[in-house]
Amino acid sequence: MELIVNGQRRSLEADPQMPLLWALRDLLGLTGTKYGCGIAQCGACTVHVDGMAVRACQIRLADVTGEVTTIEGLGTPDAPHPVQTAWIGEQVAQCGYCQSGQIMQAAALLSLNGDPTDEDIDRAMSGNLCRCATYPRIRAAIRAAALRMGGV
Amino acid sequence: MIRVLALLLMAGPAGAEVMPSIVAPPEEGSVSPADGLAAWDRVHQVVSHPRCANCHVGSDHLPMWSGPEFPEPRPHGMAISGGDSRMGIETLPCATCHVTASTLDSDPRQAPNAMIPWQLPPVEMAWFGLDSAAICRQLRDPALNGGRDWVELAQHLQEDAGHGGFVAWGFAPGGGREAAPLGLQTHIDDVLKWGAAGQPCPE
Amino acid sequence: MSRAGRIARRGFLIGSVAVAGGVAFGAWRYTRPLPDPFAGTDAGALNPYVLIDADGVTLVAPRADKGQGARWLQAALIAEELDIDPATARIIPGPVSAAYYNRALIADFMPFAPTDTGWLAETARGAADIPARLLSWQMTGGSSSTADGFDKLREAGAVARETLKQAAATRHGLSRADLNTADGAVILPDGTRIPYADLAVEAARLEPVTDIVLRDRSQWRWLGQPMQRADVVAKSTGTQVYGIDLVLPEMLHATVRMAPWGGTVARLDPVAAEGMPGVLRVLPITGGVAVLARDTWSAMRAAAALDVAFTTPDTAGDQDAIWAALEATHDAGAIDTRRRDDGDVDAAIAPGDFAAEYRVPFLAHAPLEPMNATVLVTDDACTIWAGTQVPDFAVARAAALTGLPQTAIRLENQMIGGSFGRRLEIDFIAQAVEIAMAVPGRPVKLTWSREEDFAHDQPRPAQIARVRGRVTADGVQALDLTVASPSVIASWFGRVSSAPPGGDVSITTGAWDQPFAIPHFRVTGLRAPETVPVSSWRSVGASSNGFFFGTALDEMFATAGIDPMEGLLRLCDHAPSRAVLEAVRDLSGWTGRAGGQGRGRGVAFCLSFGVPCAQVVEVEDTPQGIRLTQAFAVADVGIVLDPVNAEAQLSGGMLFGLGHAMNCELTYRGHAPDQTNFHAYEGMRMHQTPAVQVRLLENGPLRGLGEPGVPPAAAALGNAIFAATGQRLRQMPFSRAVRFA
Repeated sequence: MELIVNGQRRSLEADPQMPLLWALRDLLGLTGTKYGCGIAQCGACTVHVDGMAVRACQIRLADVTGEVTTIEGLGTPDAPHPVQTAWIGEQVAQCGYCQSGQIMQAAALLSLNGDPTDEDIDRAMSGNLCRCATYPRIRAAIRAAALRMGGV
Repeated sequence: MIRVLALLLMAGPAGAEVMPSIVAPPEEGSVSPADGLAAWDRVHQVVSHPRCANCHVGSDHLPMWSGPEFPEPRPHGMAISGGDSRMGIETLPCATCHVTASTLDSDPRQAPNAMIPWQLPPVEMAWFGLDSAAICRQLRDPALNGGRDWVELAQHLQEDAGHGGFVAWGFAPGGGREAAPLGLQTHIDDVLKWGAAGQPCPE
Repeated sequence: MSRAGRIARRGFLIGSVAVAGGVAFGAWRYTRPLPDPFAGTDAGALNPYVLIDADGVTLVAPRADKGQGARWLQAALIAEELDIDPATARIIPGPVSAAYYNRALIADFMPFAPTDTGWLAETARGAADIPARLLSWQMTGGSSSTADGFDKLREAGAVARETLKQAAATRHGLSRADLNTADGAVILPDGTRIPYADLAVEAARLEPVTDIVLRDRSQWRWLGQPMQRADVVAKSTGTQVYGIDLVLPEMLHATVRMAPWGGTVARLDPVAAEGMPGVLRVLPITGGVAVLARDTWSAMRAAAALDVAFTTPDTAGDQDAIWAALEATHDAGAIDTRRRDDGDVDAAIAPGDFAAEYRVPFLAHAPLEPMNATVLVTDDACTIWAGTQVPDFAVARAAALTGLPQTAIRLENQMIGGSFGRRLEIDFIAQAVEIAMAVPGRPVKLTWSREEDFAHDQPRPAQIARVRGRVTADGVQALDLTVASPSVIASWFGRVSSAPPGGDVSITTGAWDQPFAIPHFRVTGLRAPETVPVSSWRSVGASSNGFFFGTALDEMFATAGIDPMEGLLRLCDHAPSRAVLEAVRDLSGWTGRAGGQGRGRGVAFCLSFGVPCAQVVEVEDTPQGIRLTQAFAVADVGIVLDPVNAEAQLSGGMLFGLGHAMNCELTYRGHAPDQTNFHAYEGMRMHQTPAVQVRLLENGPLRGLGEPGVPPAAAALGNAIFAATGQRLRQMPFSRAVRFA
C-alpha cells in the first residue's frame, strides 16, 4: 500500500482497515499526530488530506485518496509554518498534547478564511478539545497568524 | 401506460448495489385508504426514528445526537452546524470527522460514515420534532420533498441505499447503533403502498 | 538513552556530589548525607541538579511536567544562580532518588491553615522536612514544585557556580572573590572567559563551595521576566516526545481490558482474539486482560472484541446507591475531622435560618494523553519509561512485581500530556511491568484506550454538603458546613503504598481553612464508604469545597440583601486575601450582581494551597441558553517567577473549573461509569470559553499555581447564573438544570 505523506511517497504493509492515525504513529514513526479519543471527539489527530482537515482516527487507510500532511509536514522547529510561529509567540501550549491537532485545524481554517472573526474561530475550532483550556491563547494565536499570513 | 411500463422496467436491482432493493409499485388506486394509512404509520416509524430524524433538522442546521448516553435526542456536541450548505461550515465540514468511506460500518461511538459525503438533507425536508400528520403532508408535497412523486420517493430510497448513502446507513448504521426499524425493502414497499393509496395522511 | 546514562557511558568525567538546599534538623539519621543520584555513573555531577560535560550544562528538574511548566521553571531557578541562559541548557527529569524529596508537599499535610503563621504552625512546617526525607518522596503534586524548589534549586545553581569559580581560581592562582561568571563561563579579572565545560573535571574534584548568598530579586536576569518555555517550540511542531510517542527497537504494543472496579476475570477465551491480525498474545494480568500486538490498533481492536466476562463486586456500585450512602453518612454524623469550631454554631443558628444541601459528582481526570508506560524487563533489571508524579512508588511496585531489588529498577520520567492528578496513580505502570515480564528482553509499550481511561479513572469523589447559617444585615453571623465524602487520601495511599491512620483533612480543605472571620464557624468532615476508588483531582478537596462554601455565602448574602463582593470583603480578615478580592473587584469593574440586558455576575473566593484566588464570572441569558461572556481571576502567588506561564495556569485553572461545573459528571452503574469517552464528558470547549482576564499579586508567601485557579470557578459561575436568572444551582454539573449556549 502506498501513501503520500508530507510530500513523500511511503509504502507500508498494513491492514487497509487500519485508521490513518495508527499507520502514521506506529508504522511510519510520525508521532506528532496524537491519539486522544479514537472517536473524533478531541481533534488531537487532525491532519490534512488534500488540504482539508481530517481526523486521522476516523479515516481508514483504504479510504485515503489524497495527499496527507501531518504536523511534521506543516513546518519544523527551524522553519515553522506561520501558524506555528504564532503558537510559539503566544506560548499557547501547556501540556501541549492537543496542540498538533489545534494547529492543523487552525491552518485549515486560515487557508479558507484569512481574516476570521472570533465567531469564525469558535465555530471552526470547537471540535478540538484542550483539557488544559488554552483556548484564549489559541484565539490570540489564530488572530496573530492571520495578521502574519495576510502581511506576507 | 407508458408510466406503467417505466415502472416495470424499474423493478429489480439496479447498479452496484450496496444495499439492494426492489421498487415494485402497485397499480395506483389498488391500495385502500385504510391500508395506505397503515402503510404510512410504518413509514412514520422509520422516518421519525432518531437514526433518520436527527439529521432531518431545520434552518438552525443543528444535527441531533442519540445513543445510550442520550436517551432523548440532544444537539450534536461541539456546537456543530451543518451550515447553509448542509455539509458543515466551510472551515469545519462534516467530512472532517464523518469521512467518506468504502463501508457503512464504523466502531461504536465513532463519527459514523457513509459511502457518500456526509451532509444533512435539504432544509425543506426538515421534520425533526414534527408529528406524523405534518411529516406526511410534507412528504406528499413535491415542493417539500425534493420534487418527487410517490414512485420517485421510493426510487430515491433505492438509489441512495444502492450507493451506500444515508438511507443505507440508517438501516445498517454499524457499531452497535440502533438501526431504523423495519428494513429498507419494507420501507420502500410501505412508501409505495401509501402512494398507491393516494398518499393519505392522518388528521 | 538518558543524558545521565549517556554521560555515564562516556565516562570521561569524575563525579562528586554535594547536597544543596538540604536543611539539617535534629537527630543524626535525618542529617545523613543524601544518596548521590548519579553514584556509579561517573556523571559530571556538581550536585544532584547540575551536570556539566564537554557538551555543556545539563540541569536536573526532578518534579514531573504535566503541562504546568515545572520542568522549565525548575531549570530557570537553577540557571539564574548558575549564570547561564536556561534556554541553552539541556533539561532532564533525572533519576529516581531520595535526594529529590519534596518538602513543601509534606508541609501541606500539616493541620494548620495556610494563613496560620503562628509559631507552632511554622515549626511544624519546617519539621516536615523530617518525615518527607524518611519517606523519600520525589512526588509532584499539591502545587508544590515552586515552593519546594525556590531556595533549593537556586542554592544548587549557586553552589555549582561558586565551585566552578573555585576551580578557575585554583587553576590560575587567583582568589575566588575576584572572579565573576556570565553566560556559562567564569570571567577572570583580565576578562578571559573560561567556559564551564572546561572547568567541570576540576570542579568535580573539589569540595563543593557552600558559603553562598542567593541573589536579590532585583538582580534576577530571567526569573520574574517573560520567558519562553523550552518545550513550547517542540509542542508547537509535533516534535515533543511524550511517553506515548516512545519508540524502542523490537518494541511490542499492548493494551488492557480491565474488570470493573473491584471485579475480576470470571471467564476468558483468548482463542478468537489471538487469531486476529497483528495480535501476538492474550495475557491475563491482575484484575484484567492484556493484549500484545504488533501495533496499538491491532491490540485495541482485539481487546474490544475479547471474549471475556468479569465478576462485579457486591458493594454498591450504582449511582443511586452512592448518593444514598452519602446521605446515610450525613444522617449517621460520625465525625472524621473537625478542624474549625469557632464560637457556638448550635446556639447561634435558629430553626428557619439558612439551610441548603449541595452535591458534586464524580469527575474524571481525563488528561488528553491516555495512560501509557513502556517497560523492558530482563533477568536482572527493569527499565520503565513513563510519565509519573510518584516515581518512588512506581519503582517500589515494579520491584515487588519483578522480585528485583529497587536498585535494579530504572525509571525515566517522560513529558506528560496532562494529568490533573491522574498520574499520581501507578496502575498503568504496574500493568506494563506485568505484561513486560511475560516477554522478557522485549520492550512493551502499553497504551490505554480512552474508553479504558474513563472506565478506570479513580475520580474526584461525589460528595454531599449540608450547610446551615445565620445572616443579618450586618453580615454572616454563623456558618456550619458539613461535608460527606469518601477519603481520597486513604483510597490513594491504599493503592500506591499503605493507608495512613487518622482523619482526612482534604475532605474539608478549601472550607475550614478559609480566611473569614465568621463569629460562629464550624466545618466538619464525615467519611463516607468508598464505593469506587477515588483520587486527587486538580485542587483536591478545594475543588468541591470552593463550590459549597462560595455558593452558601452567596445565598446568605442574597437573603440579607448584601452585595456579595462587599459581603466577602467584610468577612475577610487576611490581608493578601482582601487584596485579591479588591483587585478582582477593580479588574472586573464590579458594580453588583446585575449586569443589565439579561446579564448577571457572580463572585467567589477560595484560598487553596496557600494561594488566595478570587474570580468574577459574567453570564448572559440568551435564547440559545446561558452564555459565559467574561471571566476575571486574581491570585496571589507571592512571587511571579514566570509571568507568561503563571497567567496561563490561572486562566487554565479557572476554565478547567468552569468547564467541569457546566458539563461534566461520571455516573456509575455496576462500578463502571456511564460516560465512556469525551462525547459524554465535554469539559470546556472553545465556543463556550468566555473572554478571560487575569492578574497576579505578590503580597503573600511564594506558592505554586497549578491548582488554585480551579476552586472558585464553579461557585462564581453558579452565583452569576443566579444573578442573571434567579435560578439557584446547588448541584453540578449545571447542565442538569440549565442549557448552555
